[in-house]
Amino acid sequence: MRPDRRKFIRQTLSAALGGASLYSALGQVQLLQAASLQPSYVFNDYKALVCVFLYGGNDGFNTIVPYTQAAFNAFYGAGGVRPQLALDRAQLHPLSDLSGSSGDGIQYAMHAQMPQLAALFNQASSPLAVMANVGTLVGPVTQAQYLAGNTALPPQLYSHADQAAYWQSSPPSNQPATGWGGRICDLVASANPPNIPILTSLSGEDAFIRGSQVNGYVMNASQALTVDLPWDQHGQLENAFYALQAQGAQAHILERAYAGAINHSVATAAIMQGVLNAAGVPTFASFFPQANGYNFDAQLQTAARLIWAAYHNVSGYSGLKRQVFYVNTGGYDTHSDQLAQHPDLLGELSRALSGFYLALNSVPITGGTLARVATAFTASDFGRSMTTNSGGTDHGWGSHQLVLGGAVQGGRFYGNGCGFSGAAANYGLVMPSLLDPTSSFGVPSPNLNDPGDGNGRLIPTTSVDQYGATLARWFGLDHSDIALIFPNLSNFSPSAHYNPAGGYMGFLA
Amino acid sequence: MYNHWALRVGACALLLAALPLVAATPDRLPGRMFGDGMEDLVAGPFNDEDAARFLAQSTFGPTDADIARLRQLRYAAWLDEQFNAAATSQMAYYNWVDDVLDENTGTTTLREGWFLAALGGPDPQNNLIIHRDQLRQRVAFALSEIFVVSDQNALLSQFPNGLSWYYDVLVNNAFGNFRTLLEQVTLSPAMGVYLNMLGNPRANLAQNVHPDENYAREVNQLFSIGLVMLNADGSPQLNGGQPVPTYQQAVVKHFAHVFTGWNWSDCDSGNFLDCGPDWTTGANFETPMAAFPDWHDNGTQAGNDIPVKQLLSYPGAVNGGVLAAGGTPQSDLAFALDNIFRHPNVGPYIGKQLIQRLVTSNPSPAYVARITAVFNDDGSPAHVRGNLKEVVRAILLDPEARYGHLRQPETFGKLREPLLRLTHFWRAMGARHHCGRNYSVGGVTYHYQNQPYRYAGYVTAWGTSDSIYGSGVAQAPLNAFSVFNFFQPDYAPPGEVAAAGLVAPEFQLHTDTLVANSTNSTAGKSFGLDIAIACDPDEDIGDVKIDRAQDAALAGNANGGPGDPPTRLIDAYNLRFLSGQMTPFMRQTLLTALNPVSSADGPDWRFQRIHRALLLIQTSAEYMVQK
Repeated sequence: MRPDRRKFIRQTLSAALGGASLYSALGQVQLLQAASLQPSYVFNDYKALVCVFLYGGNDGFNTIVPYTQAAFNAFYGAGGVRPQLALDRAQLHPLSDLSGSSGDGIQYAMHAQMPQLAALFNQASSPLAVMANVGTLVGPVTQAQYLAGNTALPPQLYSHADQAAYWQSSPPSNQPATGWGGRICDLVASANPPNIPILTSLSGEDAFIRGSQVNGYVMNASQALTVDLPWDQHGQLENAFYALQAQGAQAHILERAYAGAINHSVATAAIMQGVLNAAGVPTFASFFPQANGYNFDAQLQTAARLIWAAYHNVSGYSGLKRQVFYVNTGGYDTHSDQLAQHPDLLGELSRALSGFYLALNSVPITGGTLARVATAFTASDFGRSMTTNSGGTDHGWGSHQLVLGGAVQGGRFYGNGCGFSGAAANYGLVMPSLLDPTSSFGVPSPNLNDPGDGNGRLIPTTSVDQYGATLARWFGLDHSDIALIFPNLSNFSPSAHYNPAGGYMGFLA
Repeated sequence: MYNHWALRVGACALLLAALPLVAATPDRLPGRMFGDGMEDLVAGPFNDEDAARFLAQSTFGPTDADIARLRQLRYAAWLDEQFNAAATSQMAYYNWVDDVLDENTGTTTLREGWFLAALGGPDPQNNLIIHRDQLRQRVAFALSEIFVVSDQNALLSQFPNGLSWYYDVLVNNAFGNFRTLLEQVTLSPAMGVYLNMLGNPRANLAQNVHPDENYAREVNQLFSIGLVMLNADGSPQLNGGQPVPTYQQAVVKHFAHVFTGWNWSDCDSGNFLDCGPDWTTGANFETPMAAFPDWHDNGTQAGNDIPVKQLLSYPGAVNGGVLAAGGTPQSDLAFALDNIFRHPNVGPYIGKQLIQRLVTSNPSPAYVARITAVFNDDGSPAHVRGNLKEVVRAILLDPEARYGHLRQPETFGKLREPLLRLTHFWRAMGARHHCGRNYSVGGVTYHYQNQPYRYAGYVTAWGTSDSIYGSGVAQAPLNAFSVFNFFQPDYAPPGEVAAAGLVAPEFQLHTDTLVANSTNSTAGKSFGLDIAIACDPDEDIGDVKIDRAQDAALAGNANGGPGDPPTRLIDAYNLRFLSGQMTPFMRQTLLTALNPVSSADGPDWRFQRIHRALLLIQTSAEYMVQK
């Protein structure tokens, strides 16, 4: 524990600002060299975190569903919670949950289109855990507090952009808003070689990959695009092109930002194409039969390849100790026609995510397989309402998420009304899907996880901060830094399901 | 709660702000032009550079002809000419391809129609009709980035006619009243599908069915007032240091109950939950949604309805924003839209975004406040609220729009959007469709032979996704990833821009991949797609290609080489592409690169100078920022 961590970060940034390097050849990446002059993290192993973001708000409550017959009936049957979204029970994949971690004595199952992930959950030494009812929180919230309106809530609940930003930033109120993927990388950057991206998106830009110092590299799902200028017999074109983009030379701030972007792109693409084309880096093609170069499967395939390359110190990509990847897919905003659309989404998720694990698990390393060094975790804008909009579901709040990797203590559910203070009646069930959470607006619902606004949204019982802290701890950050990354973490107290002094939520060893 | 991270970042921002911006040497600054606000603004422009700069904000890219026209008319008359120019209809083009050419239409038809309107010029079905409504189309495109629908939606992608019809709503109302625009957007089937108001029934608690909140939420959050109470100058109202929310969740729920009972115009009430698009013709996408009272929550159905609906509450709200029971779908909708329209946030919220789309990413609060005032009262005897024509006029003739580049030379302006760079390039370079033939597939004949004004082609016009077509544009109208558009108005790229407290929304689209791909594709369009290059007779569709020959005479007087520098070409492109704002450094860099090209390089040496100039200019950091 270093009590002067905050001071340290300020010093390195101001030191960089004093020099000319701030907007130099490799843009933000270069700044890290300045930071690396200060003593900081030293790792002797390699680890990777992979954020799998499901845009639109996945309906976790039709992803992992009650299987025990009576509970199934209460949920999907006539007069139940979701009669219009009923799944075929015979097609579901029951989850063994040998430890009874669902906490409510009920057996759960995964959606019919998720056989691969269900199998991983059910296997011995399972690598797949379910983080139950997690979502955006400033601090613990009870139904009574929500109804009374006397406690801090994440701003703009149920709004896509705001809640996706909150999930990725937690909280997004800082200006400029940074993401926790970026903030984690700010802290571990100095443990890595300069210039090689340690924070890489395989599909687009978003808050998660923005740090104060580290700005994530955004590439395509299967390639990093290089700039290829036409041939010039006079040899002038390239000189002129780069002279016009000279780093930091422009008078206008947006011109400097653009020049920074193109220089960062050019320098980094050369590194990435080098490693992706390097001899010996496996394609893992057999684990991603539906990867086509640009889809979600391809994103995870490329992430697996890069993790392999980093672990094996492929030339040009060597010396990496910590990396964060960002992959994503969309279409989860299932307001209508959910029974037709949701299965395809879950099928894609199960297929590609399991492929990622199995690919890494096929590579033996000392003491295990490469799967041990990578942890993938899902996130999404929000969960969805228990109620339906005739065929679909509306924006919700808490939802279930999946964590997958060789270091995951899988085969069980995590979470509870963790950290809540007050009467036991305020504690939620781990899997809070069963009581009808709907009631008229402002009337307390029998399910104490329901905010009571009449749409069956569930108040999360675990916060994004607690979820992220668990991942950050496994990544090797010390407690004081984790508290910096997640400034609201201190609002959550230890409980039987949450041990901040140890592994936080506990799903990673 | 003590937020350490905010404290830390805040400290950094302060530190950065205290530093001077990078000191620029004189050759890194554009020459100071005439026009610093001392003369009568509306009497301008007084030179071609000011004219080009105005056109960069108000059209899809300056051309020499438009610069001359603006100088002849001056701002006020030019604006009036634009306000009165006939609107180019996307449906008109779509229907021509569908009904007259008798082709199978699709997303490509939609894109061709958009480029026809954006590029302007002759109509393909009657070359005597000249599309000149540049300002209307530019404003409509800006509106399409606020009132977002997208053919990335699975259903909408199958009905491009519905998107054409929707775009016409934006075009037709670009100079109309915001209240009318809001209603026509609300009732358009494309929006109804995209945000689920179409077919939204009143609650049925027995089935645990509740009205969908999607449209209720976004019409407030994105299309009108935003999430926090604003001052007239666009700054957030604070209470105890925290922004004041415009509404709570209960308000969204109540709006959702108002927005029930609307469906396809040809639906019948007994079939409300099962009505769908007309899969054969798509015709019901081309009429506004119709009301079905039995399915509308008007507050009278006990248990299911909300009897008294609390909508937006603000000083002066009619009836305190409370909608009483007993209305019709139409009267309830009118009450709800009036309730939104009258909210004091609409002026600053919409006004600031229109400024950002046309002029600058970071308007001063005073600029926003001036536009808000016009939105709130157009100054006419009737004191009309929401007059978009006057809002647009005020945005473009504001002293900050006209002189911001002189007063804030290091921050004023905006990153150009990829699609606007493409239209600019094509307009400035006389592009038209070239090559292609009339060919038949499955009994349908397609017509791309001798069709200079059908803007078709996979390489350029139609391709948007970098990974699929390699077009490098990564942006097409009505093709955003989500309702949050290609970029959000408050996006700040990490680093110097964010640290300075500025935003630059368009950077959100400019990922590492896009900037590389865009550079490469500019090379292809500059070097390889010219109407002087012979066609492949087997090519079906052809492509949009530029006309380098139009500028050949500018590229050299004699035989090229250092003794015959292309100064006239650089000057012309400085005007057309950079509104005369090219720095001496960039000018010298271009001359150094182009000078060696001479007649020894072949008879097309002038073209070689042109395509080098185009590539270097269109990819340069200086050009990227519209200032």
